[in-house]
Amino acid sequence: MSFKKCKDLILGIVMLLFSGFYLFYAQQIKTRPKLTPSYASAKIMPILLGVLLAVLSVVCIIQGMRQMKANKKEDNAKKMDKGDLMAVVFTFAVIIGYILIMPLLGFILSTVLYLFLQMLILAPAEKRNYALFAIVAVVFTAIVFVAFRVGLQQLLPRGVIESLLGF
Amino acid sequence: MSTLQLIGGGFATVLTPTGIFLMLIGVAVGIVFGALPGLSATMAIALFLPVTYAMTSSNAMTLLMALFIGAISGGLISAILLHIPGTPSSVATCFDGHPLVKKGQAAKALGVGVVFSFLGTIFSTLLLMFIAPQIARVAINFGNFEFFSIAIFSLTMIATLSSGNMVKGIMAGVIGFMFSTVGTDAIEGTARFTFGLTSLKGGFDMLAVMVGLFAVGEIIAAAETSRHSDEEVTQPSMKGIKGFGFTMKEFVSQIWNAIRSALIGMGIGILPGIGGGTSNMMAYTVAKNSDKRADELGPLGTGRIDGVVASETANNATIGGAMVPLLTLGIPGDTTTAMLLGALTLHGLTPGPLLFQNQADVVYGIFAAMLIASVIMLFMEFFGLRVFVKLLSIPKYILLPCVFVLCTIGAYALKNNMSQVIACLIFGALGFAFKKLGIPSTPFILGFILGPLAEVNYRRGMIRTKGSFGPFLTSPISAIFLAIAVAVLVLYATKPLRAKRKAAK
Repeated sequence: MSFKKCKDLILGIVMLLFSGFYLFYAQQIKTRPKLTPSYASAKIMPILLGVLLAVLSVVCIIQGMRQMKANKKEDNAKKMDKGDLMAVVFTFAVIIGYILIMPLLGFILSTVLYLFLQMLILAPAEKRNYALFAIVAVVFTAIVFVAFRVGLQQLLPRGVIESLLGF
Repeated sequence: MSTLQLIGGGFATVLTPTGIFLMLIGVAVGIVFGALPGLSATMAIALFLPVTYAMTSSNAMTLLMALFIGAISGGLISAILLHIPGTPSSVATCFDGHPLVKKGQAAKALGVGVVFSFLGTIFSTLLLMFIAPQIARVAINFGNFEFFSIAIFSLTMIATLSSGNMVKGIMAGVIGFMFSTVGTDAIEGTARFTFGLTSLKGGFDMLAVMVGLFAVGEIIAAAETSRHSDEEVTQPSMKGIKGFGFTMKEFVSQIWNAIRSALIGMGIGILPGIGGGTSNMMAYTVAKNSDKRADELGPLGTGRIDGVVASETANNATIGGAMVPLLTLGIPGDTTTAMLLGALTLHGLTPGPLLFQNQADVVYGIFAAMLIASVIMLFMEFFGLRVFVKLLSIPKYILLPCVFVLCTIGAYALKNNMSQVIACLIFGALGFAFKKLGIPSTPFILGFILGPLAEVNYRRGMIRTKGSFGPFLTSPISAIFLAIAVAVLVLYATKPLRAKRKAAK
C-alpha cells in the first residue's frame, strides 16, 4: 500500500487524534464564571473547533476509504526518488543544525557553513561547484551582515568572528 | 480635510527622497521575485519586513506596496519567456505569451504585458481610492455582530474557494483557527493551551507562522525537485523594436478587453479567498469566450495579444481590489494581504474603518505609493528587461538557501532571540506536512488571522445579547454575510450530487 493511495485516510486519522488532544486540553481551560457567562467563556470556541475538526476528520476518513476502494486495482502511484527523499531529510538536518549552532558560533560562521552545505544538498550532482558555492556563501553572508548589522542596526547572534570584528 | 487635500498629502508623504528610493528598490526586487518561479509576492514582503522594522510606518508601507506591485507584474516575464508562470497570477499569461515568442514576437508580448499590467494597477488603485473611503464610512458603524459575520463569511469563502477540496479547505481553516487560540485569552485573561510555557503566553506570532509556512516550507519542498528542473532562458531579441512593440491600432483594439478584465480582477480581489491566481484565469476565459475575431486571427491560445492583455490587466487590478477589505475592514483576502496586515500591525496600525479617521495620512500614502510604484514598474520593466532576464538564470539551489537566511534574520529580529526562529522552523515542517497531505496552507493562515476576530466578536456579541444568537441573524448586514456563507457551503457540498444527477440524465 503506497502512501499516496491512503493519504486521506492517514490525514483523517491524524486529525481525529489531534482534535481529541485539543478537546482534552480545551476542557481544562480555566474559566471565570463570575466574570463572563458560560456562553461567552474562554472554553466555548475551542470546544466548538475541536468538535468541528473531529467531524471533518470522520468525513475525511470516509472519503479516504471510498477512494481506496475505487482505485484498488490500479497501483501506479509514483514512488519518491530515493535521492529526493535524502535531499529533504538532509535539508531538515542542516536547517536544525543551523539554528542550533547559531547561538554558539555566531551569525557569520554558522551562515557561511549553512549556505555552503545547503547548496551542496540542493544542487544536482553534476553541478556541484565547491569553489562557487564557497564564494557565494562568504560574499552573501558578508553583504547581509553589513546590510543588517551595520546598515539597519539589527542585532544578530554574536560569535567568535563578530567579537573579532568588534560588533 | 477634503479628499483632494488628503490625496495631495499622500503624495507629499511618499515623494520624499527616501520614499522614491524605497519604491525603486521595492519595485525592482518585487519584479525579480515575481519573475523567479517559486518566489512570490508573499515571500518578497515577508523577507522585507525585518528591513522595515526601523522605518516610519509610511516608509514601510511604501516599500511593501512597491514590492507587491512589482511582484505581481514580474511574473509575466517568466510566463512569456520561459512558459513557466513566475507566480500563480500569471498562469494565463503563458497561454498566448509563449506562442507569441515562438512566432518571434517576444518584444510585443512583453510590451503588451508590461503596459497592461501598468494600466490594470492604475485603474484598480483609482477605483480603490474612490470606493474604500465610502466603505470605511459605512463600516465605522459595524459592531460585534457584523464583524463576526464578516469574519465567518471570509473564512468560508477562503476555505471553499482557495482549494479544490472543500473538506480539506475547511479543515485547514479550522486548524489555523485552533492555533490562534494558543496564548492568553483576550477577554478572560486565562491561559489557553500554553502547557505551562511562558513563551506560549503571547501566542504564536503571525509573522513567524507565515514566514515558516511559506518560505521555509517552500525551501523544504524545493529540496525534492531542485535536483532535476533546469530551464533554459531564451533571450528576447530587441532589434528594430520601437516603443513598446505594438501599434496604436492594436492598443485601441484591446481597450474593451482591458476594461472588462480590470473589472473582473478588481471584483475578484475584493472577494476574500480568491486573488490574482483566479482572476487572470477568469479574465482569460471570458476574453476567450467573447472573442469575435477568432476566424480572422485564430483562436486565443495561438499567440494573440488579447490573452496577455486579459491576464495581465486582471492580475494587477486584483491588487487594488484586495486592498479594499484589508484597509476598510482589516480583513485580508489572501496570503499577500495577510502579510501586509502583519506589517501594519507591526507598525502599530490597525486596519479598519478607524484607520481612515485616525491615520488618513498613512492610507493616502499607500494610495500614492501604489500609483507611483506602478509608473516606476512601467519604466523599470521596459528599460531593465535584460537585467531581469539575466537574473532568471540564477539556479534555485543557490537562490533558495540565500532566501532562507533572510527569513531567519527576519524571524530573529521579531524578538531579538532564537524563539521565533524555532517557531518558524516548526511551522515550516508543518507546511511541508500539509503539502504532502494535500491540505492547502492559505485557509490555515487566514483561519489563524481571522479566527481571533470571529471569536472575540462572537463572545462580546453574546455578552451584549445575554446569550441569545438572534441579533446575529436579525441585524441586516450580519444576516446577509451569514446567508451568503451558508449558501456557498451548501452549493459546494451538493456539487457532487448535482453532477451525478446531471450525469444520470
